[in-house]
Amino acid sequence: MEQVIANGLYLGAQYALIALGLTLIFALMNVLNFAHGQMYVLGGFVTYVIYGQLGLPFVVALIASAITLAAVGALIEIYLFRPVIRKSHREESTMLLAAAIAFFLDAVILLLFGEKQRGVPKILDGVLNWDFRIIMPYDRIAIGVLAILIIAAFILYMQYSKTGRAMRALAQDRVAAQLMGVQVDRYSMIGFAIGAMLAGVVGGLLVTITGVNSGIGGPISIKAFMMVMIGGAGVVSGAIAGGFILGMAESVGLTVFSGYGDVTYLIIFASLMVFLAIRPQGLMGKPWG
Amino acid sequence: MDSLLNFSNAELHYDHVHALRGVSLNINEGETVALIGANGAGKTSILRAITGLHPISSGQVHYKGERIDGMPPHKLVEMGIAMVPEGRRVFPFMSVKDNLLMGAFSRSDSKQEVKATLDSVLTRFPRLKERYKQAAGTLSGGEQQMMVIGRALMAKPTLLLLDEPSLGIAPKLVQDIARSIVAINRDEKVSVLLVEQNSRMALRISHRAYAMTTGEVVLQGDSKDLLQDDRVKALYLGGEI
Ligand SMILES: Nc1ncnc2c1ncn2[C@@H]1O[C@H](COP(=O)(O)OP(=O)(O)OP(=O)(O)O)[C@@H](O)[C@H]1O
Ligand SMILES: [Mg+2]
Repeated sequence: MEQVIANGLYLGAQYALIALGLTLIFALMNVLNFAHGQMYVLGGFVTYVIYGQLGLPFVVALIASAITLAAVGALIEIYLFRPVIRKSHREESTMLLAAAIAFFLDAVILLLFGEKQRGVPKILDGVLNWDFRIIMPYDRIAIGVLAILIIAAFILYMQYSKTGRAMRALAQDRVAAQLMGVQVDRYSMIGFAIGAMLAGVVGGLLVTITGVNSGIGGPISIKAFMMVMIGGAGVVSGAIAGGFILGMAESVGLTVFSGYGDVTYLIIFASLMVFLAIRPQGLMGKPWG
Repeated sequence: MDSLLNFSNAELHYDHVHALRGVSLNINEGETVALIGANGAGKTSILRAITGLHPISSGQVHYKGERIDGMPPHKLVEMGIAMVPEGRRVFPFMSVKDNLLMGAFSRSDSKQEVKATLDSVLTRFPRLKERYKQAAGTLSGGEQQMMVIGRALMAKPTLLLLDEPSLGIAPKLVQDIARSIVAINRDEKVSVLLVEQNSRMALRISHRAYAMTTGEVVLQGDSKDLLQDDRVKALYLGGEI
């Protein structure tokens, strides 16, 4: 039991970070970023190269993942989403663009890093064994704690910094935010960069545990969208709830249904459909709060 | 008196709608000017043109002698033009405090000076102090209106644009809001452009007024004269008591 909860929390923290990035981009720009999983993969490979191959400290690699993805996010917003949003008021335009970016990043990642599964040396050795009730390797604990700290930092930043407040204002009322002097272009760019950065950071964190391969971008995007469906799009608390619920469901499912083959995700998908039919806006469905 | 804002011969279009047809109006320093007219006359369009939310297709806008049409909204806020938009537009999931702080977003002076403005706004609208930590979306319509006026004052504006502050608000509170507009104009030396459908209130608290119908200014003059004007009575004051 404790073991299942511990696994769920560890997984949930990673998932929540992924969902936060996706929901931030959605809240600010009304863009569904289908390329979110690919950004995660890119972040994973940056850490793989810098920590795994060049042998620099893990923290340096993680920061490099963050900076690279922030830059990629900013460039994508400036040169792709911004002109499209300016020219077209139809929502599918940005969706199709996001899908195209996902395909493109998939191809780039495959070309640069090949299709092999890549892993890196453990960041910490040893295993915590608490009375055989929770058995967890120290590196997982460290990665879990790191993820929770980043979530906390993100929330504090959104809540108390001037930039965070401006992004919330923009998400809640675009026109009023403009009248306060918030530059839509600049803050959309910052938001997109932060969203992409969060995806890249989780990629960097998880490469140390599960490794990374060029094909997992799509599946990660799917999970990110599921979390947002559970929690409600564009809401911080919803993204966090969605992340932890999915992490917990996965952890419980893998334990409970271990005898029945790979049915966990089948059951999660089925429950999600029923849930959405009843509550399409998700648990906390409301604009950014 | 010096002209603070001069709006001359402006045309404004939305796709196929010709919303302003050569509108000219002027606001002097220290004045409260009312802009009255029926639904769809183009009042909000004038405010959108002044704040840079929507471009004019011809004509000119000058503020403090400088040409400002074509400038983006954030520049104009920095120059001292603040607007309270139609329908209030609070940030519904942010606290009253954060809403007010957003009003000071474009200011570059010190935290202490922002704090001083915040205190003066809270003194002017004590109700906001009681609701300080509450989400703005949960306030009553009247409280929201006070909050967005406060939010605009947080920018320390020279020119305050108010778009129908009495809309959907209880008569008793309309009185309060009217009084605060007079007080703001008098105490803080803020010039005010007041757009209203409650023409009687607007004419009572303003120095001068413009009346519009469908994209054009049809009457202008001192507010106390317009209050007695038969055409104004027939067109804008009828039915409302
Ligand atoms: N975004 C828009 N797109 C198209 N037409 C618009 C838009 N906004 C306003 N209009 C049209 O422009 C004209 C002027 O509108 P405006 O909002 O300036 O009027 P108003 O005097 O503020 O009216 P109200 O008292 O109802 O607020 C109207 O005919 C309106 O239908
Ligand atoms: Mg209007």
